[in-house]
Amino acid sequence: MTAQARAAQVKTGAAAGAATPAAVAASPPIIRLDGVSKSFGPTRANDDLTLSIHPGEVVGLVGANGAGKSTLMRLICGLARPDSGRIAIAGAAVDLDHVSPNAARAHGIRIVHQELSLCTNLTVAENFMLEEPAALLAPEPGWRDRFRRRAQAQIEAIFPGAGLGADDVLERLPIGQRQMVEIARAAAGERLRLLVLDEPTSSLDADRSAQLRQWSRARAAEGVAIIFISHKLQEILDVASRVVVMRNGRVVADEPAAHVTVTDLVERMGGNPPHESGEPAGTAARPDAEALVTIAAAAGLADHAITLAGGEIVGLAGLDGNGQRDFLHALFAAGRGHDRAITCGAEPGFVSGDRAGEGVFRLWSVLENIAIGASIGRPPLARLSPRAEQGLVRPLLERLRIANARIGANILELSGGNQQKVLAARALLRGSRILLLDDPTRGVDVEAKAEFYRLVREVAAAGTLVVWYSTEDAELLECSRVLVFRAGRVIRELRGTAISAEALVGAAFAGEPKAAATGRAGAAHRGARGARLAPVISLIAVLAAMVALNPGAASPFGLDLLLGPALPVALVALGQMFVVGGSEIDLGIGPFAGLVSVLAATWLVTAPLAGVAAILLALGAYAVMGALIQARQIPSIVVTLGASFVWTGIGYTLQPTPGGGSPAWLAAAVDWNLPFLPTAVALLVLGALAALALDRARAGVVLRGFGNDARALQQAGWSSVRAAALRFAIAGSFAAAAGLSLTAVNTASDINAGDSFTLLSIAAVVIGGCRLFGGSTAPVGVVAGAVTLSLIGALLGFLGISTDFNAAVQGALLLGILALRTALSGPGAAP
Amino acid sequence: MNRFARWTETNRWIWSALGVALLWLVLAAATARLTLESLSGVAQSASFLVLPALGQMFVVTTGRGNIDLAIPSTITLAAFLSMNILGGSDAMLPVCLAAIVAAGLGIGAVNAVLVVRLRIPAMIATLGVGYVLATAALLANRHFTSYVVAPALAFIANRRVLGVPVMAIAAVAAVLAAGFVLRRTVYGRLLSAVGQSLRAAELSGVRSGRIIASTFLTSGVLAALDGMVLAAHAGGAFLEVGSPYLLQSVGAVVLGGTLISGGNATALGTLTGAFLLVLLVTAMQVIGLPIGVQEILEGVVIVLVLALSGRMSGTRRPGTAR
Repeated sequence: MTAQARAAQVKTGAAAGAATPAAVAASPPIIRLDGVSKSFGPTRANDDLTLSIHPGEVVGLVGANGAGKSTLMRLICGLARPDSGRIAIAGAAVDLDHVSPNAARAHGIRIVHQELSLCTNLTVAENFMLEEPAALLAPEPGWRDRFRRRAQAQIEAIFPGAGLGADDVLERLPIGQRQMVEIARAAAGERLRLLVLDEPTSSLDADRSAQLRQWSRARAAEGVAIIFISHKLQEILDVASRVVVMRNGRVVADEPAAHVTVTDLVERMGGNPPHESGEPAGTAARPDAEALVTIAAAAGLADHAITLAGGEIVGLAGLDGNGQRDFLHALFAAGRGHDRAITCGAEPGFVSGDRAGEGVFRLWSVLENIAIGASIGRPPLARLSPRAEQGLVRPLLERLRIANARIGANILELSGGNQQKVLAARALLRGSRILLLDDPTRGVDVEAKAEFYRLVREVAAAGTLVVWYSTEDAELLECSRVLVFRAGRVIRELRGTAISAEALVGAAFAGEPKAAATGRAGAAHRGARGARLAPVISLIAVLAAMVALNPGAASPFGLDLLLGPALPVALVALGQMFVVGGSEIDLGIGPFAGLVSVLAATWLVTAPLAGVAAILLALGAYAVMGALIQARQIPSIVVTLGASFVWTGIGYTLQPTPGGGSPAWLAAAVDWNLPFLPTAVALLVLGALAALALDRARAGVVLRGFGNDARALQQAGWSSVRAAALRFAIAGSFAAAAGLSLTAVNTASDINAGDSFTLLSIAAVVIGGCRLFGGSTAPVGVVAGAVTLSLIGALLGFLGISTDFNAAVQGALLLGILALRTALSGPGAAP
Repeated sequence: MNRFARWTETNRWIWSALGVALLWLVLAAATARLTLESLSGVAQSASFLVLPALGQMFVVTTGRGNIDLAIPSTITLAAFLSMNILGGSDAMLPVCLAAIVAAGLGIGAVNAVLVVRLRIPAMIATLGVGYVLATAALLANRHFTSYVVAPALAFIANRRVLGVPVMAIAAVAAVLAAGFVLRRTVYGRLLSAVGQSLRAAELSGVRSGRIIASTFLTSGVLAALDGMVLAAHAGGAFLEVGSPYLLQSVGAVVLGGTLISGGNATALGTLTGAFLLVLLVTAMQVIGLPIGVQEILEGVVIVLVLALSGRMSGTRRPGTAR
């Protein structure tokens, strides 16, 4: 379809998108929710909600933070099961016991989440492939071309002139382009019936956003339904044929978009908050209160300095992810003396609403979870006194209205609300004069919330400064002062009576937020290229040094002699690379190569069939080990360490002393000559090519995806256990190849021959430019790294240094490179 | 029954203790060669495992897959160091002791800097350090002269008091001290907090870096001291003296019931775990299993125990977070 034709269709689509409500209602709904309720813990996220989505509609969905939009979308897409009510898809009732994302997908319902679920280490086309789970080993020649074409066509259809290549790697794209990929990927299915777009334009510029809206209208004209969730109300009114407003888990307005204005929407979203206690909202700061936090203008938060005083409850408002949480953590770091632009009068206490992730200590009782607050800052060898701690904690429990009998219960036995009180008690016990709250009432019931608010007021009244980030606008009414954030800066400050639901919604929704910065991607790209070239450069440097010291090394024969020992190291390193790509480490890979070498030198010579069977069996065991590590979630390092003893033990039993022979065909496999090309070089190139081919194959791409974002792949329907088994099977195969080459070259075997390969392989992977965690692979770099490492011994020899230093140089090189990488990547990043 | 289940949940050392008793009964019934005398021999061998295993336990308890793989090389290097300094007499004992502790602290400090400051995963940092130390041991081997053991060390390593090996008494004392620190002091509580959830601990105000660093220091010192007495026990230092302790130090910790995912450690369990592991090895020797089969069984037991206990404790794999 030409661009003109598309544009013409867009225009007719726009007209059809505004189809009369009567015509829309006549067609059967794609999905109908009838009296649906959903609670998370004690929170009613969706409350007796009824909604139908018809073909050809663009439904704009709006609501304040915490209104229940996300929960509604999770129900529609099968990611959550309703507690009560009925759901019908295409007129047929859904069996609520068998709700799943795959079932929803089969009905053509797709969602684009606010957080992107792309693998950043893969290309655009590869990410499109991940959306279509298949058997891992099913061969499909030409898959890459198929998905390239699909990606290109789909992106072009939605965002004409986007200029995105199907082979662009995601991490090199700015966030806006990534969002375009995510949208195009979800919209790509042939059978698309309903597309949910959750904040799709948060990172898009105005032109791309307009293109998306045009496309939405066009698709709607073809009979697809689209739910468009956005905080940008202008956009909603522009794209939607119908607008649904949610508040407190209910639909409060549902009308044609033509009948409402932005002002209407803001008013409907605000309304009466659940703040019905009747008590005055927050306490005003006393004029004589002591300033506890001073944020200099240099901090870049605002144009002027901001001072926060004891007794204040300072709320952090704004749309989610505009820097509120960063500010909270900056305050916490400043309290520990890590920030110059912010001065804190005390080390702050911190209460997080992410109780499981950064709140509770799951192995401990309620008492211990609170009492640790009193332990902070005491001398390390000071004795704990359970009795004294009970004395400290009991009054707190009383104040927080937690039954005293529960003091010995495990923390996880408590409800979310009570867990939250325990965390607050911990911070209070520390006695800090600054209390930081990070969305503390997430998933807490109304009653517990009210009690929490009361507690916060009490604490503030006692002179403590409370800084409170909340994702629920209604909670900010508890504050005496509110800082409204956008794009990491404070754009407005509300005080006292000026804090109202309307003012908050208005301030947060005013104007268009800026698209996210795009500068970072370029720098990361340059860094990645440097990391890829480094191993090759270091290899050339080492080789050059050796040739300078001994010109004979440059002859084909000399090279063959020098590089021969590098082959098994390189093969083992390639195997280790696949393991590291899955964020694991294999400490048994060297001994495994040794075992295969022994099998090849013994059984493969005397009883070839049994030998082949034994090697295949060993590979099977390797795959099972991988599956076990994943299925039981046990640390790979200890399992592979234990397994290394098994491999060595078997090898030792088969062949207590070095010896054996090599099957003639195996010896012949490494004993051939190409004119001008040393055999060792040819074999190294072959190994690298094999790894490269595997890495680029569909299965290899899926494995890299797992290393980058396992959750996203599981959500898409890939099996993590099978992937782990395949990963270790591949690693084992490379190690086995290394073992075979050892036997072939030495025409004998030694079970300990592979032991030194384990460290060398890890070092080669690191030198080769792979990150230790996160699915990065670089076969060529790894081979170059392995060759460099194995040449170091020879280089030391040329320099007249004892080979005793071999291991030390290799170990120091590994640590040095990792240390350098940490230093270059800056604080917070893993090497 | 329910109370018993809950009791075993908080006293996981009981399983390895039961394992010891069971294995002992089976062996006593099967062969006549196991006597109280040989039990004290097992206790002595186990004692040499207890020291490095306690260090490993502290490191493992910091969670996130932390582990000290430099233990075997530290032991070997310390063995050479002590033999070379002492030269067979007690005169240099204070110097030797100071040098050994300093070496242990130094190795632990290097590990700690690599892990805490440079954020290199512990397994790789300690593996790399281990290789550098192995080279140092290789060099020390060149200049190794004396096979005469200093009397004071020989007393600790080889003698018995009232039939109980002195080394076993030392090991039990170390276990009691470690148990006290873990259960009764502020440090033990903060260590457990860091191991359960680094984020939660830091947000509660714990200086997690210092805690993690301290465990590597502890592990370094304990391994170095162990190397010193081990050399005295073996009547000299040799290059392979530390190697069994790579797998066995982890094995004793795992068998003893310390959570491999971190956050909960049991010193008593490490003692019984070490005893069980050494008894297992001894039993295999007594039965006359070939060395290869012994290694296989040792590996299989540790992997199996891990696989069985994995999910129960909500274990996290390393690498999911720094």
